[in-house]
Amino acid sequence: MHDRVLKYVLIIPAALIVVGTTIWPLGVSLITSFRDWRLARSLTPGGFVGAGHYVTAFTDDPDFSNALAVTARVVALDVPLTVLLALGLALLLRRAGVLQSVTRAVLILPFAVSPALVGISFRFMFNAETGVLSWAAGTAIPPLRDVVLLADPVGALVVLVLSDAWRWAPYMTLVILGGLAALPREPEEAARMDGATEFQVLRDVTIPALLPVLAIVAILKTVFALKMFDQVVTLTGGGPGQSTVTLAYLVYSIAFRWYDMGYASAVAWILTAMLVFLAFWYMRLVLRKPGQT
Amino acid sequence: MSGTLAQRAARAAGARRRRLVWRGVETALLLATLLIILFPILWMALTAFKRPVDLFDLTVFFTPTLDNFRTIFAHPWNIGATLLNSTIVALTTVVIAIPASTLAAYAFSRFEMRGKGLLFFAILATQFIPAVVVVLPFYLLFRDLGLLDTHVALIIVNLAIVTPFAVWMLKGFLDAVPNESEEAALVDGATRLRVIIDIVVPVIWPGVLVTTVFCFILTWNEFLFALILTRDDAVTLPVGITRFRTERGDLWELIAAAGILISIPMFLLASVIQRHFVGGMTGGAVK
Amino acid sequence: MSSISLQRVTKAWGGFTAVRDLTLDIRQGEFMVLLGPSGCGKTTTMRMIAGLEEPTAGDVLIGGVRVNDLAPRERDIAMVFQSYGLYPHMTVADNIGYPLKLRGVGREERAARVRQAAARVELEPLLARRPRELSGGQRQRVALARAIVRQPTVFLMDEPLSNLDAKLRVSTRAEIKHLQHELGVTTVYVTHDQIEAMTLAHRVAVMAGGEIRQLDTPEVIYDRPADLFVAGFIGSPPMNLVPGAHAGGVFTAPGGLRAVTRVARHAGPALLGIRPEDVTVLPAGQGDLDASIYAVELTGDAVLVTAMVGPARVIARADRAWRAEIGATVALRLDTTRMHLFDAATTKRLQPD
Repeated sequence: MHDRVLKYVLIIPAALIVVGTTIWPLGVSLITSFRDWRLARSLTPGGFVGAGHYVTAFTDDPDFSNALAVTARVVALDVPLTVLLALGLALLLRRAGVLQSVTRAVLILPFAVSPALVGISFRFMFNAETGVLSWAAGTAIPPLRDVVLLADPVGALVVLVLSDAWRWAPYMTLVILGGLAALPREPEEAARMDGATEFQVLRDVTIPALLPVLAIVAILKTVFALKMFDQVVTLTGGGPGQSTVTLAYLVYSIAFRWYDMGYASAVAWILTAMLVFLAFWYMRLVLRKPGQT
Repeated sequence: MSGTLAQRAARAAGARRRRLVWRGVETALLLATLLIILFPILWMALTAFKRPVDLFDLTVFFTPTLDNFRTIFAHPWNIGATLLNSTIVALTTVVIAIPASTLAAYAFSRFEMRGKGLLFFAILATQFIPAVVVVLPFYLLFRDLGLLDTHVALIIVNLAIVTPFAVWMLKGFLDAVPNESEEAALVDGATRLRVIIDIVVPVIWPGVLVTTVFCFILTWNEFLFALILTRDDAVTLPVGITRFRTERGDLWELIAAAGILISIPMFLLASVIQRHFVGGMTGGAVK
Repeated sequence: MSSISLQRVTKAWGGFTAVRDLTLDIRQGEFMVLLGPSGCGKTTTMRMIAGLEEPTAGDVLIGGVRVNDLAPRERDIAMVFQSYGLYPHMTVADNIGYPLKLRGVGREERAARVRQAAARVELEPLLARRPRELSGGQRQRVALARAIVRQPTVFLMDEPLSNLDAKLRVSTRAEIKHLQHELGVTTVYVTHDQIEAMTLAHRVAVMAGGEIRQLDTPEVIYDRPADLFVAGFIGSPPMNLVPGAHAGGVFTAPGGLRAVTRVARHAGPALLGIRPEDVTVLPAGQGDLDASIYAVELTGDAVLVTAMVGPARVIARADRAWRAEIGATVALRLDTTRMHLFDAATTKRLQPD
């Protein structure tokens, strides 16, 4: 077979899978998002309502604005926390050493734990009467002794973010370590010869050179934080009240508790639009030719 | 920095002491990191071997028991069936996705194509799409087809996550392999298919292995699809463990035992491919 | 300007010793070239002077002060790196001005000194650019300007010309030599290129296996190489080294080579060394011995004639108009005043009596 034909034949299986499992459902939910379809009333989709669901979401739905605010809070806490932890840890792990290699070897473990299980185990550890970490938090910071963290709107959100940072920061550390290893050593050494202290080398040379990698890490983490779902189900159940209902969890609730497929599709598409926007910026960073800045 | 070289040299002893202090701080930070990373895992492991009476003693000294593992495999929990579901779904997904992705990744890596940039962007962008938006139409479709709570349903939706990922990752591995030996083989008279079999596969199989393991872990840990699309027969492990949260309260010791069961195989797989893990998520942008 | 002294310095990583018990004194204002093949320890030696590597044993002295415990930034040394080590996110002006900024030099004085340094290496029109917008030669000049801007007491240069193309290498080499002469700064220069070493150095330290094989002026190293390694490393094409036997002041080798040496006391296996320009090609029968031609190569300024002397190949440098066919027989005449005799066992040069 000639290459001219072969190259298209080679991508057919994967293209079929992607079209069938992603493009098709995306299209269907987009159409559904413009229709009235309550599964409890009808097994078939109802009439078109135009942009009605989208208008409702942004103007007349406290649940949606709440979920939007919660998701924004999660992103605002989770992304800086994860990126800073990962950067600090990567810089600590740069040097060779026994302790460094041991730490590097365990970095991958949290990522291998199912996020649903991470949620459950944090729920266990922060259990009010019996959790080892709520005991530890109460002992270390006495004012926290009588606070039931998971029953407190702020506390629950913080624990949710901590559980996510626990899972992702070590992984992102590996990514940043990869970026550090790819940096040429000479500019750093030149700065040392030029009279820079270790802190000045870090601030003036290392971090600026690492910015593209940090941007990739920050965007990836933003994407994962925006999609956060598994831990919400197993750690907080969206509570207390609605204080930890993220957008993904809201879509799930609308679709499978209230069976409003039209509105669920619209909210899902709002989330999708945000993610595709991020995907665009991510791709510009990742697909850039080497050497460009 | 001040004074003459000699004055600076005389002060060097102080600098050496500061370096030692900083080394101490580093060691303390690293030990704290190790503790934070390992503690939740170790605590779960300890809990899995506790009797319910010992559960809320915050102690590491207790009489270990294997009862929890016996209980979860027995009626009514039957975790064995769940374990089998997870294995079937993850294996089948990978077996379909990896060959298809390898061929596509090769085409993307080696050939120029009309609209290749757009196509590749589309494949990449699908990784960013939230699972909830994909699962809604599939839920309705599978309900109509009577496929809810089956392996087939789970495998199909998992392909949506795994395939773009695998293409992206494999292309990264293929791009890192120089084209020259393939061109040499073409000049020597091999057909393109022979080249793929004789030259590409032997060089790229470690990358294929890494991708396979990566995708296996993703599918194995997948929660949202399983939560929505399964009820009894096709439940996988991440959803299975939520069943230990009963009206009588959370059966923590059983959750922990099941948690160990889910996690240990993934720990082993992850450790095997640890060195290559990073490139996977970022598609070779960060080596 | 400072002197530099390495005293019994060793650097080892685990089982690998990069530099072994090395002692080297560099005078004030001297241009010292460390020359050797890759892996000979020359770069490690320089990095220990810089403070980028810590010696496993021994002392490093700058201006008579032991600096082992001083960080690189405290040593008052400027360094030019092989790949220049420029700061990619800073402009040329900021790159050059960075050492001054770190020393708290005010903005205006900094700008003036940056311009002055840039003028020295003809970089003024490029001050607003970033390193990636420059050619290799321009990047090289930025690295030089950054080194001279703060008037250090010592310059270190690590293969600074190796990333330039051949033509640029020659002109930059002359500029470096001129600059060092003008500033008079003690300079240590690492290279594997013997031409750079010969042209630039006041003294050359030829290194191999982590040790200095010979330390002397370029003239002495060329005319009286201390051992077989130095003899084979310096010169292009390198010195002819013909294995044979030496007894009673006469060296003999297969192929009819017989030469009177002025070394009386030595007897045993030896190598005769003679540079291609000290071998004359003559019509057959008119020289010291006859040999058949293996290859004839025109280099432009000369013709290199390779002839078979027994199993050994001997290269002679002939006039660029000289022509002959491969396989023809010619005579070779060896300049006896410029012959060298090396002991085969110790590899050392045998001094004439």
